[in-house]
Amino acid sequence: MAVQPKAEPAATGGNTSAPGVRKAVVIGGNRIPFARSGGKYTYSSNQDMLTAALDGLVARFGLQGERIGEVAAGAVLKHSRDFNLTREAVLGSALSPETPAYDVQQACATGLETVVSLANKIKLGQLDSAIAGGVDSASDAPIAVSEGLRRALLDLSRARTTKQKLAAVAKIRPRDLSPNAPTTGEPRTGLSMGEHQALTTAQWKITREAQDELAYNSHRNMAAAYDRGFFDDLLTPYRGLSRDANLRPDTSMEKLAKLKPAFGKSLGDEATMTAGNSTPLTDGASVVLLGSEDYARDHDLPMLANIVDAEAGAVDFVHGKDGLLMAPAFAVPRLLARHNLSFDDFDFFEIHEAFAGTVLSTLAAWEDDEFCRTRLGLEGPLGSIDRSKLNVNGSSLAAGHPFAATGGRIVASLAKMLHEKGSGRGLISICAAGGQGLVAILEAR
Amino acid sequence: MSTTTLNEIPALGKLYAGAVGSAAKSRLSSAKGPSVLPADRHEVRGAVVDLAKLTDFQRLVLHSATDYLPTGYVHTFAFPVAMSLMAREDFPLPLLGMVHLRNQVQHFRPIHYTEPLTVTAWAENLAGHRSGTQVELVAEVSAAESGDVVWSGRSTYLAKGVFLPRFDRQEARADRPDFVPPQPTAMWRLGADAGRNYAGVSGDFNPIHLSRLSAKALGMKRSLAHGMYLASRVVADTVQNREEPYEWNIDFESPVFLPATVSLSIQDAEEDGRYAGSTFVGWNNRSRRRHFHGSVQPLSAAGAVRSA
Repeated sequence: MAVQPKAEPAATGGNTSAPGVRKAVVIGGNRIPFARSGGKYTYSSNQDMLTAALDGLVARFGLQGERIGEVAAGAVLKHSRDFNLTREAVLGSALSPETPAYDVQQACATGLETVVSLANKIKLGQLDSAIAGGVDSASDAPIAVSEGLRRALLDLSRARTTKQKLAAVAKIRPRDLSPNAPTTGEPRTGLSMGEHQALTTAQWKITREAQDELAYNSHRNMAAAYDRGFFDDLLTPYRGLSRDANLRPDTSMEKLAKLKPAFGKSLGDEATMTAGNSTPLTDGASVVLLGSEDYARDHDLPMLANIVDAEAGAVDFVHGKDGLLMAPAFAVPRLLARHNLSFDDFDFFEIHEAFAGTVLSTLAAWEDDEFCRTRLGLEGPLGSIDRSKLNVNGSSLAAGHPFAATGGRIVASLAKMLHEKGSGRGLISICAAGGQGLVAILEAR
Repeated sequence: MSTTTLNEIPALGKLYAGAVGSAAKSRLSSAKGPSVLPADRHEVRGAVVDLAKLTDFQRLVLHSATDYLPTGYVHTFAFPVAMSLMAREDFPLPLLGMVHLRNQVQHFRPIHYTEPLTVTAWAENLAGHRSGTQVELVAEVSAAESGDVVWSGRSTYLAKGVFLPRFDRQEARADRPDFVPPQPTAMWRLGADAGRNYAGVSGDFNPIHLSRLSAKALGMKRSLAHGMYLASRVVADTVQNREEPYEWNIDFESPVFLPATVSLSIQDAEEDGRYAGSTFVGWNNRSRRRHFHGSVQPLSAAGAVRSA
């Protein structure tokens, strides 16, 4: 039997894409400004915000009435009635009602996962165009009835005789009447995300000052990006907001230093995490338009960056082996190895600032000889990241973090940065609840 | 050794009620009986788990509602047979007020909820303790059909303040080195109803767990969490491979008064790059007192091959 020759690498060659697969490009993005929970979007639902972000994208790229190959988006805090959240948003948008859609949920990695999975479908030729996205509202969060009340109500709905109905109602206890609001607590540990990060922050000996400095830079960088109009073609104003409400252009190290610790107070270590160096609960939505090269050319649309590859990771935080938000520390070296790249090969690093401590713990892990040898299986430290390439237009500490919307914000911004530079690569790293992480490489066009 | 066969798993409520009666009686006669353990074994054959109770138990200890019994549930299922021994007239220690010191369990294979099980219980190792007398209750659970032992548990109890003539008072232990809490991996927030909830799924309505009032009646300042609730929950979190035989143990140190926040740390160990078991410890972060500690280990191949 004859051995088939391997397919030629894609035209622009190198290590950019798997052989025989076409490219998926970022055409552009759009988001609504992010609002602090309880702010301007208090009475906007996930569907409202996702529709607003979609309509802004449609207007920017002239997609009115267009049938897009597929739209994928999701929300972390999701009402059970929103089982078809994305499809409903599409139906409410100016896109063709014949545009199919599906929902994705991977905690804070949701937005990036929609980009990755749709890009893969484009690469395989299943789709020519796609819209990836995410939305979250901490203001309009679902509230569930207690387990006791829920079971009793379900039993009641199944009851046929009066006796059975009375028996179901009789099971309701006064304490069952208080509702369950969603929390950022991990179901298996009972610790909130902030408490988990406080443990990791202490483990890696990240100082309060270093965290405040990262937060300060995030605000300063994002304010500067707004001032030079960087976000003009990435945002559509909504409900009276035209900038992220969390952004504090006038913050200073002194102001940040005055804030009291918010997490880790009960954990026995010195608490260093404050409301200033942690992301607040946020409302918002973001979407990214993806396509094949042919689709972009045929529709006379820009090509900002290629989605090169991605890698997911997860850690065993339940048994304390690693910190809850440390999965990217493992996923990044695997992704770099697959492409034979090092940190020196990147021009931009977008490390999601769930907490300043998360970014700094991840950087510390990559610089730590023992961690890299024993846990990553490397011969020495993975390396240091040039801080002047890190989150250069600000990140979640400044913008806020509507969980599922963060991936779309980062992908659209990074694609634009790469296109402006005209060459180079960018690395995205996003940590997620459940000890997960998703990382990806983009390259400029 | 003789064996007394019971028709069914006894109801704990009745045993407690009987214990209250015999406690009153022994106060009158001021003698509980001989300083020897009954040589008899108590046995229940072909007992079957109630699926609804099992599901409630699984939910409460945050174990997935699988078709197999959580190892802590097997204890709950078998425990009343051991307790029926302790409630006997000729048992040398009073049942009420017994303190649970330790559990050592071997879990030989997954147990499906439909399997008829034989529970055999006996008492051994009556011994002096610095603050009373301790005794070990062994419950062995076997598959009713094959007779293979599928689970074996040894529980150590202390009758505080009861000193039997045959046993020397043990000297007070040398002071334990100060406990330095490790980094927690979890934090359990237990409400005032944690004891009532566990009583509901386990049938263990010992008054010290039910309410502040009922606990006070027995000399406790507040109600306290069941040791087996803490054990079942931490072991459900810790066991990695439920398909293979494993053993676990837990030592209870200071009681968890409700409501409570229990800090917990679970650590895995590796030998030659392979999982070699886990240790866990629970403590109160305010008082820095340790509530319990223990471990879970895969059973060696030799230990696993065991039949009745």
